[in-house]
Amino acid sequence: MQNEHQLAAQAVESAERLGASYADARFVEVEQEDLALHNGVLDRSSLQEERGLGVRVLVDGAWGFAAAAGDEESAPEELAKRATDAARALAAARRKPVELAPGDAPGGGLESGEWRTPVGEDPFALSLADKVGFLQDVDRAMQGQPGDEAIVARDVTLGLRRERQHFVASGGVQQYQELVRSGAGLSATAAKDGAVETRSYPASFGGNYRSAGFEFVRSLGLEEHGARVVSEALQLCEAPVCPAGERDLILMGNQLMLQIHESVGHPNELDRVFGHEVDLAGDSFATTDKLGGFQYGSEIVNLVADSTVDGGLDTRGWDDDGIRSDAFHVVENGVFKGYHTSREWAGAIGEAKSRATNRAEGWYNPPIIRITNLSLMPGTWTLDDLIADTEDGVLCDTVKMWSIDQRRLNFQFTTELGWEIKDGKRVRMVRRPTYQGSTPEFWKSCDAICDADHFTLWGVPNCGKGNPMQVAEMSHGAAPARFRKQTFVV
Amino acid sequence: MPRTQTTSSELGSEALLEAAEAIVAHAMGAPGVADAEARVALTVNSFCRFADVGPTQSAERARLDVDLRLRTKGPGGSGGGLHEASVSGQSLDLEAIEALVARGRELADVSPALDEPVPFGGAIQGDRSKLRGRPDAATVAHDGAAKAPVIDAAVRRCEEAGLMPAGLFDTTGVAKALANSAGRSVHFEGTRAGFSLTASERDGNAIGGAGWNEGVANRVGDLDPEAIARIACEKAAPGVARGSVEPGEYTVVLEPSAVSSLLLFASYVGFGAKDVAERSSFLCDRIGERLFREDLCIRDRWNHPLYQVCGFDGEGTPTRALALLEKGALTGPVTNRLYAHKTQGDPDQSTGHCIAGSAGPRPQALSIDAGDQSREALIAGVERGLLVTQFHYTNLIDPRDMLLTGMTRNGLFLIENGEITRPLTNLRFTQGLVAALQNVAGIGDDLDVAGALFDGEVIVPSLRIDGFRFTSATDF
Repeated sequence: MQNEHQLAAQAVESAERLGASYADARFVEVEQEDLALHNGVLDRSSLQEERGLGVRVLVDGAWGFAAAAGDEESAPEELAKRATDAARALAAARRKPVELAPGDAPGGGLESGEWRTPVGEDPFALSLADKVGFLQDVDRAMQGQPGDEAIVARDVTLGLRRERQHFVASGGVQQYQELVRSGAGLSATAAKDGAVETRSYPASFGGNYRSAGFEFVRSLGLEEHGARVVSEALQLCEAPVCPAGERDLILMGNQLMLQIHESVGHPNELDRVFGHEVDLAGDSFATTDKLGGFQYGSEIVNLVADSTVDGGLDTRGWDDDGIRSDAFHVVENGVFKGYHTSREWAGAIGEAKSRATNRAEGWYNPPIIRITNLSLMPGTWTLDDLIADTEDGVLCDTVKMWSIDQRRLNFQFTTELGWEIKDGKRVRMVRRPTYQGSTPEFWKSCDAICDADHFTLWGVPNCGKGNPMQVAEMSHGAAPARFRKQTFVV
Repeated sequence: MPRTQTTSSELGSEALLEAAEAIVAHAMGAPGVADAEARVALTVNSFCRFADVGPTQSAERARLDVDLRLRTKGPGGSGGGLHEASVSGQSLDLEAIEALVARGRELADVSPALDEPVPFGGAIQGDRSKLRGRPDAATVAHDGAAKAPVIDAAVRRCEEAGLMPAGLFDTTGVAKALANSAGRSVHFEGTRAGFSLTASERDGNAIGGAGWNEGVANRVGDLDPEAIARIACEKAAPGVARGSVEPGEYTVVLEPSAVSSLLLFASYVGFGAKDVAERSSFLCDRIGERLFREDLCIRDRWNHPLYQVCGFDGEGTPTRALALLEKGALTGPVTNRLYAHKTQGDPDQSTGHCIAGSAGPRPQALSIDAGDQSREALIAGVERGLLVTQFHYTNLIDPRDMLLTGMTRNGLFLIENGEITRPLTNLRFTQGLVAALQNVAGIGDDLDVAGALFDGEVIVPSLRIDGFRFTSATDF
């Protein structure tokens, strides 16, 4: 650890000597294990290790960044020079210098310290044999089901990651973080009579993830769901397509989390709002004139961003600006209250302090504003009562497809499975339920949210933003909720 | 030892090949290892993003990636089958390679034995020189200082038009090498340069219409940022009130960047042999059936004259340039060695479309042959329809018909009596790709390299398509 901190410190010293008014450097070490069984065979599995240094500088009011793999002794000086040279050249084309909001330590600086994800069972201490054996046990639970000759794919995945970040910034700041995440899931795909349908547990696209150790993977109880997942995939192939029309919508947490992500998280990133992401990812309808007064949702809608919450994939000590993690309301009692910001962007809306949501993917990328853990606070209902209270609706379970416009207003989502509800009862399974809406009207139609017993934190390990695109991780907590009179399309 | 940080225009793929061969030799010396294949890649990238304030973010960066695939005979060397694993690192130091081999052996030994241990591909016969690529030194060396004046000019152009710019100037050099214990050794060097610009009407952060354009080329000198900025500003149609049309079926003229959003999904899901084998491909039950117009031809062509990518795949197999749709019919999927073995009984019949680390073979460079109609002629043939510049956040609803949804963005225009009459607010489409290709009514001569929100690029012309289905609308 000493060596990595020294390399980062040397880079910052070099950058300051070369004229940087501010510099930070991150030496990042990543270990990642992605193990997957596809039809019982290890597939798309890899063990990855990487380590490298990224140096960010501010020269004459412009950013520069340079990065390289490894820990060569010459890297700090060389990277500092490349970053400062680029920043100096680009400063000539800046219309307005970058101004950083003060840090959150006394005197406006940044604090030093260490932070580690609390881990029960170290996933990297467990042998590979045990992990592969775990996957095989889950895979066996999906086999031998009636009609499973129509199952064309059984998938079991396990994803483990440990990231060690050595952050050094101007002013002698040193932060060390060790972030660990674990996750797993299973899915079965059936093909029958021209239909192809996949069913997953506990969520699609690899399952669920937490900042935690292997104890979280064990807690998912994957084996117990193998037979059900296979059975539902087979049933879906024979189920009718969810008909078009206007009905109430009940979203399970593993779909609602994506709704939060796409229609609240992304439009709430302040760099998007000011048009700096428009060339690829898009911008935002949630413009600054709406802050503090805009009715984003119904009065029961409370959305809290929190990079301190237990188990969140973006739960950490500090963001990549070195600002301590924090919690804030994005929507409070339905009213739009706050943006995700960075030290660069906080001043644009007159805020003195960053919301600590500036992050980079690994050592190779400069940080940008990212959604942190963002959750819909639980309400008071039970799921049984919610269904019983619904006359004509569809319960939608598990993400299948998502699409949203460049301002994050018009969306269309499809889930893996739907249940039609008539007069308070589930009456039949439907496939490919697809609903379409507009963000504020959708959230304003929310009239019931299930209680804390139904609340789950869902991990998103693959959020893309930036250009070139970077991947970030965060979590969204949600309990099932109801949205009145939504439009279903075919 | 190849360098991992580059400050010159040399990429050094031959040195990477030597390193890959050394890794293979090292792995084969380890107990129990039956086969080994090493891939080493160096990526050198410089990018600068920009907006109304000028440059907003830049990076000068390099990364070395080392991937090792190896097979063992199982625990103790007597497992009665072959076991495979892949491991990755970022160092060519001996200590790091030893650790990589050890991790690979450990994972392979505990993995289930392969059902079908298809042998690694052997030495490439014939001329390998064409696989080595044509890197452009100026693109590799292009840094932030070289990008600054180009960005300044683009921002100024937008300022003069009263529009807000946001864009990316990106240059990349890549060197790759692959070697394995069956005697295969290939290497490649290539470059890519891209410049994109969105010009938006804005007052503070209140947003109006936007226009967009992008150029992608193998050589930075082949980009024309000035023309890109001009077209983006024109597309924004500043000061012109936007009309609206109801969702429904329209004849559309899709510009290349809109066609790319649709076609790219066929490269993610559908054209691969694994998708066909698992019944999740739109090729299922359609191969050989004459469903499309005769002159619509979709190819996978790594050595397209307009834009070239690496000519071998993740197993080092030379990628065959293939027609995937020709003479009105889908011809068949692309393969890797495993699926060539499964479908033809001979892994050496692989079409060279293994994407290392992915779920199965995939096309790598889809293209549609140019037609003979100019963009203007395509528009002139439309009585009432829509001109679409680009789609946003296209995604797949159902793979069997390639049912897709997405939004128009950055320039949707009404066509009336063969002429563009006004810009429109945006629409959402929900449309099957197979049906759309069946309804192609005109093929443009304006081939372009185009990407989309997700990964990859294709080379496609504008298309006129009848009966394209839009299912909802926005008010912007």
